[in-house]
Amino acid sequence: MENKASSHLLKYGRLVRPVAGTLIGLFLVWRLFTVLVIERNFSADTWVRFGLSGLILGGMYALIAIGYTLVYGIMFMINFAHGEVMMLGAFGGYFTFELLRYIPAATPENPDLNFLNAHPIISVILAFAVGIFVSATVGFFLEKIAYRPLRKAPRLILLITAIGASFFLQNLSMLAFGPQRKNIINPDILDRGTGWTLTISGNPVLISYTGVFSLVLSALLMIGLYILVMRTKLGRAMRAVAQDKNTAYLMGVDVDDVISKTFIISGVLAGAAGVMWDIHMGLVNHYVGFLPGIKAFTAAVMGGIGNIPGAMLGGMFLGILESLGPAALGIDFQLKDVIAFSILVLVLIVRPSGILGEKLSEEKL
Amino acid sequence: MKKVLFVLMLVAMLVLAACGPSAAAEPDACKAELGCAKIAKGQTVKIGYAGPMTGDYSQFGIDMSNAMKLAVADMGDVQGWKVELAVEDDGGGAEGGAAVSNKLVADTTFVAMAGHAFSGATAAAMPIYEKAGIPMMSPSATNPDLTSKGSKVFNRSAFTDTVQGQGAAKYLYEKLGVRKLALMHDGSDYGQGLANVVKETFISLGGEAVAFEAVTPGESDYSAPLAAVASTNPDALYFGGYNAEAAVLVNQMAQAGLEGKVFFGGDGIYGKDFLGKVGANGEGVYSATLIPPGTEAIKKFNEAYKTAYGTEAGVLSAYTWNSYDAIGALISAIKSVAIVQGDTLYIPRGALVAAVRGLKDYQGISGVITCQENGECNASGPVFYIVKNGEWVPAQ
Repeated sequence: MENKASSHLLKYGRLVRPVAGTLIGLFLVWRLFTVLVIERNFSADTWVRFGLSGLILGGMYALIAIGYTLVYGIMFMINFAHGEVMMLGAFGGYFTFELLRYIPAATPENPDLNFLNAHPIISVILAFAVGIFVSATVGFFLEKIAYRPLRKAPRLILLITAIGASFFLQNLSMLAFGPQRKNIINPDILDRGTGWTLTISGNPVLISYTGVFSLVLSALLMIGLYILVMRTKLGRAMRAVAQDKNTAYLMGVDVDDVISKTFIISGVLAGAAGVMWDIHMGLVNHYVGFLPGIKAFTAAVMGGIGNIPGAMLGGMFLGILESLGPAALGIDFQLKDVIAFSILVLVLIVRPSGILGEKLSEEKL
Repeated sequence: MKKVLFVLMLVAMLVLAACGPSAAAEPDACKAELGCAKIAKGQTVKIGYAGPMTGDYSQFGIDMSNAMKLAVADMGDVQGWKVELAVEDDGGGAEGGAAVSNKLVADTTFVAMAGHAFSGATAAAMPIYEKAGIPMMSPSATNPDLTSKGSKVFNRSAFTDTVQGQGAAKYLYEKLGVRKLALMHDGSDYGQGLANVVKETFISLGGEAVAFEAVTPGESDYSAPLAAVASTNPDALYFGGYNAEAAVLVNQMAQAGLEGKVFFGGDGIYGKDFLGKVGANGEGVYSATLIPPGTEAIKKFNEAYKTAYGTEAGVLSAYTWNSYDAIGALISAIKSVAIVQGDTLYIPRGALVAAVRGLKDYQGISGVITCQENGECNASGPVFYIVKNGEWVPAQ
């Protein structure tokens, strides 16, 4: 009897996926059809605005997501404190801007000029340098202090340690910098809300300088990373450690060193994302890395965790999905996180290895 | 062994119970329902205040508790017992409201609550004070529903969101000539409630509400919902919520295609913090406030506030003067019911609840406080302020 029941379950169980998939698919098609064809609430310029804000957000998600993926590829752990690494980088950029604003650089024509506006390009480079340095240092010590002693421990323990480190860094910076959101004042040439204006279907669409700046910079960083991983000796060592730690060790690769450097590289990317966040979003507090961190993790899983192009693709996809999704489905904008995390669940059910994910070896699973 | 211990404990408990204060010494007023707060010599009479003391909205909590501390000092003793303000951080939300109120009612010398500051926390805390017989006088919880729940203990000296929302809608329609209004809110009891009132009043005046969007509090990017709002091409944008989110919206309006449109906020966006976060983008932003007209008493208070804290009164939030009066009104009610017997001050809880609800013609610095049967103690409406040259000034 029991056997028969379980075989029935199995039979119906197999049907669950296609049926649920079809229902969800039909619902999506119906909503999209209603919004895009019948209601037509938004004109082309609005869609362009949604797309732009999604692209910019996606670029930042992608940079953070690469950090998750790099570390996962090498240590098979999810570094949940990665969002906090980004947050500390954002604070580095914030304090640099604040400091430079207090350095006078008066000229005869303009006695109120400060360093930030007198040398905006140097200031921005300095802010990135400080932000990246802070994040890379935090990443390096995080691995050294919190993760290295647990190298041989079961992976669940590492995961919980990472969550603990995340809370620790969050509360530490709340204590150090206060809980209020701080306002970041950009140099005048990168003023938020200024930019080029396009006219689409009769309405002006603003392409902000800060947005273009963030997007271009994240693209450059991603290309740089790809070259680093694919074309350099360190990249080869990283790939070797990712494939098989023990064999790489036997072949003379310094595994500890490679892991340290991986944390530094992911810290560099997170720091850059943090300063971009400063420049584009303009507000920073201790909590600013948490949600982007979780979103970037989602993006990394979506693209196939451990896969670098997957993380880039996943980040971009998630950013665009978040800003286009609610409008395209005609639902409330407050529900954008629901869309993002529903996609995560769907990916985990339908394709656990992600969009670009390779077949994972036993060890990585 | 265990049995012996058990018996010993029983005996100890009986002895302790016998040594406790005998019921005969209590005044008759304490035999009523809810009993009395008994405050021994050397203890203080505690009045609570709870609001967000940390985080994005901490300026409200800091400002209100500062004003209240001045009020406690000015009002003096209750029949020789010192009054103490117990300031608690509830973060503004429902969870914090419930946690703080449960903590406070456990203290037997806690008699009245000058809060909570936010409507969400207040709604969660009300039933707990109701059970314990703690009268409330909130200077700032403005959600209309709070006084329609039939609570005996809840009173407020702020105008309700209904009054404020109707005022704002009229101002937008009549004074600013807005015909197409877009509304956004943060989904909170306060923000959404306020936006709803504005929307309904605006429609009843003959205007058109073209959008009604919610945003998630605490985020730094609202460009997508703003773009959706911009596509409806409104004359003005009304926001129901607090300053942190309002600042993000104001900063991103231009890039979302709402350049030069009027931004109108509720009393939750007023204050210095907002100005710091928006800079030049804030020019021309409107807000509702309950800042009273400048009288002698207010001038005196403003000076005292500046001497004590170094900032001008009303810079952090608009609830400064109301907060001062909330404490004043509560202490005057406590004085009217407190009984001294022996070495103990007795405050009958039931009588105190009735005394606060029955407040009549209490002369505060922000005006005259008279509580109606539902607990509304403020009849005056909002005053609208506008940002000009980086300062909040009264709008014409």
